[in-house]
Amino acid sequence: MNWNDLCKRMRAVFFPGREERELEEELVFHVEMQVRKNRHAGMSKTEARRQALVQFGRPAAVKEECRDERGIGLIKTLVQDIRYAVRGFRRAPAFAFTVVATIGLGLGVNTAAFTVFNAYILRPLAVSDPYSLYQIEWRNRSGQRHLFSWPQYRRLQADSPALSEIHAVRGFQLRVNGRQCFAELVTGNYFSMLGGGATRGRTLKPSDSSVPGQGAVMVLSYAAWRNLFGADPDIVGRKLLVHGYPLEVVGVAREGFGGLGDLARDFWVPLSMYSQMVEGPNPFDPSRPELLYVVARLKPGIKESRAQALLNAFVPRLTPGVTEGDRASSVTLESRATAVHVSREALFILTPLVVVFVLVLLMACANVANMMLARALARQREIGIRLSLGAARSRLIRQLLTESVLLALPGAAAGLAIAQLAVGVGTRLMMAALPAEFAEFVRIAPLDADFRVFTFMITAAVISGIVFGIAPALQATRGGIVQAARGDFGHQFRPQRLRNALVLVQITGCSFLLICAGILLRGANQVSNINTGLRTYDVISVEIQERFRDRVLARLAEEPLVSAMAASSTLPFESGYPSARVATANQTLLDPSYDYVSPEFFSVLGIPLERGRNFTPDEALAGAPVAIVSQTLARRLWPGAEATGQPLRLVADARSHLSNRTPLRYRQMRVIGVARDVNTGFVDDQNSRLLVYFPSHPRAAGTFLLLRIKGDAERARQEVDKSLGEAVPGAVDGIHKMQSLVAGRVFPFRMSYWVAAVLGGLGILLTISGIYGVLSYLVAQRSREIGVRVALGATPASVVGLVVKQGLWLAGIGIAVGGVLGVGAWKLLASAILAVKYFDAMPFAGGALIVLCACLLAAAFPSLRASRVQPITTLRHD
Amino acid sequence: MPAESRLDLLQGTLDLLILRTLRLTPMHGWAISERIQQISQDVLQVNQGSLYPALHRLEHRGWIRAKWGVSELGRRARFYELTAAGRRQLDIERENWARLTVAIGRVLESD
Repeated sequence: MNWNDLCKRMRAVFFPGREERELEEELVFHVEMQVRKNRHAGMSKTEARRQALVQFGRPAAVKEECRDERGIGLIKTLVQDIRYAVRGFRRAPAFAFTVVATIGLGLGVNTAAFTVFNAYILRPLAVSDPYSLYQIEWRNRSGQRHLFSWPQYRRLQADSPALSEIHAVRGFQLRVNGRQCFAELVTGNYFSMLGGGATRGRTLKPSDSSVPGQGAVMVLSYAAWRNLFGADPDIVGRKLLVHGYPLEVVGVAREGFGGLGDLARDFWVPLSMYSQMVEGPNPFDPSRPELLYVVARLKPGIKESRAQALLNAFVPRLTPGVTEGDRASSVTLESRATAVHVSREALFILTPLVVVFVLVLLMACANVANMMLARALARQREIGIRLSLGAARSRLIRQLLTESVLLALPGAAAGLAIAQLAVGVGTRLMMAALPAEFAEFVRIAPLDADFRVFTFMITAAVISGIVFGIAPALQATRGGIVQAARGDFGHQFRPQRLRNALVLVQITGCSFLLICAGILLRGANQVSNINTGLRTYDVISVEIQERFRDRVLARLAEEPLVSAMAASSTLPFESGYPSARVATANQTLLDPSYDYVSPEFFSVLGIPLERGRNFTPDEALAGAPVAIVSQTLARRLWPGAEATGQPLRLVADARSHLSNRTPLRYRQMRVIGVARDVNTGFVDDQNSRLLVYFPSHPRAAGTFLLLRIKGDAERARQEVDKSLGEAVPGAVDGIHKMQSLVAGRVFPFRMSYWVAAVLGGLGILLTISGIYGVLSYLVAQRSREIGVRVALGATPASVVGLVVKQGLWLAGIGIAVGGVLGVGAWKLLASAILAVKYFDAMPFAGGALIVLCACLLAAAFPSLRASRVQPITTLRHD
Repeated sequence: MPAESRLDLLQGTLDLLILRTLRLTPMHGWAISERIQQISQDVLQVNQGSLYPALHRLEHRGWIRAKWGVSELGRRARFYELTAAGRRQLDIERENWARLTVAIGRVLESD
């Protein structure tokens, strides 16, 4: 089809008059000529005209064929269908509105989910050519992943094949002005490589990062400049203290630039400042520690697989002179085009989530299909007449489908509005439900609707329009012409079966969703019901920079709000404990978690010592070979015997070196006490209560400080944060209420529970309206039969029973199938979440009960109507 | 005219005949049908019911172009003329036709 042709078609569609007139004129001319010829042959005037017309045939058919040849027929019928459909909707606005609203809800929920998915997984980051960016890690023979050392990075930069540019980064966290900040140490080419320009001042240059220990500058992100410094126009040139070092702000990055990854960064510092910003080993040490994350841009035209092959061949050169087993043998490439990189396998894991959302849309579609079917029934006479007048079945189906797609499109618009609302409200609710101090950590990607969301929306709308339209359209046009003309659809037309199937889909989906919600809710409750054994409500934790430890301790000793202070190498609830293999004298082996704690730990967190004694201050300072075990560990290691005084041996094991901060120093120890059990895990079982404590003290590097405070915990947290910030700027990396850490542990459960519950609630509404529709129709259809029954002496109760039985039948099957699916979902959840490890019948019983009640509620009105059927009226009816 | 002396047109040949008829001069629909009938000495009779759809089809394909003009009797009529693409198509169809008739001839003449 060329442009000219398109213009003609459009003209034909929008100005049908002219085209039609020309065709008419052409044909009339032909007939006139024929008449003339016939007259010449000697026919009479009337005979000549008659003959000419006979010869010509049916002008209407010829015209129709001409139109078809021009290809304007298709568009024309489409326009006709649309007009016809719109007229129909105008006559039944309640129907149209219900369909649009139902589909809008289904689409809205899905679009909301897609918006989030899009923001993190599909939308490319605002950096130049994001699709050629990959993060590289190398692996040794046994597949262990390694980051890069500085010399390895330089080597890769200088000689690597396949890469056009590379940069190295290392992220770190700190508190600035009482707010948690995320920063990155980057090589000098970071900004030029990612295309991050500056709105003010300049970005980092290679020269900033050229000499280790120099380059005391920083670039703020646009968001940090606005949020932390109120968009101060004089920010450039100011010096900010970061971890106690003054860094000069040289610029503010352009709006929208937040680096790579899902966490928008607040500022960037040259990598040369590493040792000043991050404690512990730094990449410029002679020991060449592997600390750097490397991101590379592939050369133009080189695909991921090719780059992988080239780099695999190259990387052994990064590790010269090491033993065969430690040598680099391959690389892994991970795309950095979007906020979150999801491999194909990981996408597969997302499938259940997709299924849950699609289920809601499917239920909405089933509901609408039911309504469409009811409407098609009401129109059976019209359809019958059209069929017997010679309308092709395909033509009628096309028209009915046009109607459903036409309803789906406004549904899409409604869905988009609902999705925007849901995303907005959902984000706000989530932030509100988060413990306040975690809100600082959470960075939500901008969740706006872009063209991908629109495309998704329209596609989903059209597909669901066809899905909910096709079955009713096929059903309604199935009758034979003769029966159809009489309006008798008796034999072939069995909509009840289809309608029952549609309602079954709804009941199944709804029970499934409610069961999932129940499982998650029980999981959340279980976690929050676990007796942690810790006194958390008046304790706050502080994580500090090592070089300020003495000054912080001095300050805290004077702090009036702090009544006691303890130290622990692991922060309970926040990170998991490392574990070590221990053995008794008679070779009982166990893998308890371990923790280095100061003697005050037990009193600050309210853990009583059941037997034996606490660490003495001397033991604590010296890190003596003594240990305190938890009750359960004591019982398991020395069943029936006294634990205190027993020797305990550490068994060398790969796991014993998990924590770099607290290397295990001794092989042999003596148990001096037994502490009451604590449980910071997600499951209430014995294994989570196996714990062994080794002595430490607050001055020991790498320990968290735990403060017992007076008064309100949140106020105390802010006070302590502020006073430390004034006395020792840059010292605090994190400060939390223990209570928030406990709450944060349950938070993901609560969130997913709410999502499942909202979806299940929507499902219930859809199901109620679906069952209501089906049973109402049933009552209307069988009113004559019911009338006869009543006339023969059936009581109202038995009539009600008749209808309710039908509803319960559907509910029973739906709940059973939903329950089976629910068991599948539980198995899947249990494999991922510890807290739902044990089977629990409550969610199943609860879900089934709710659905059953909903079904009965939906059945109530139709059955009441049935019981009021007057035999006289119905029998007189025909 | 005796019915058995007329031939129904083979599928697809009408297009070829229309294109050939329009090769020298633009014509309106009636003239085209008259001309075909005349040249074939009344053997080929063009059915009006298929002539006009065929004309519209050819125009849609860009092989002929329609213009309003004045007929020999001074009436407004729609004239069709061959386009450059139509000329090329005519050559192709003629060649196809020649090959077809030769091939059919061979089959009929065999044994």
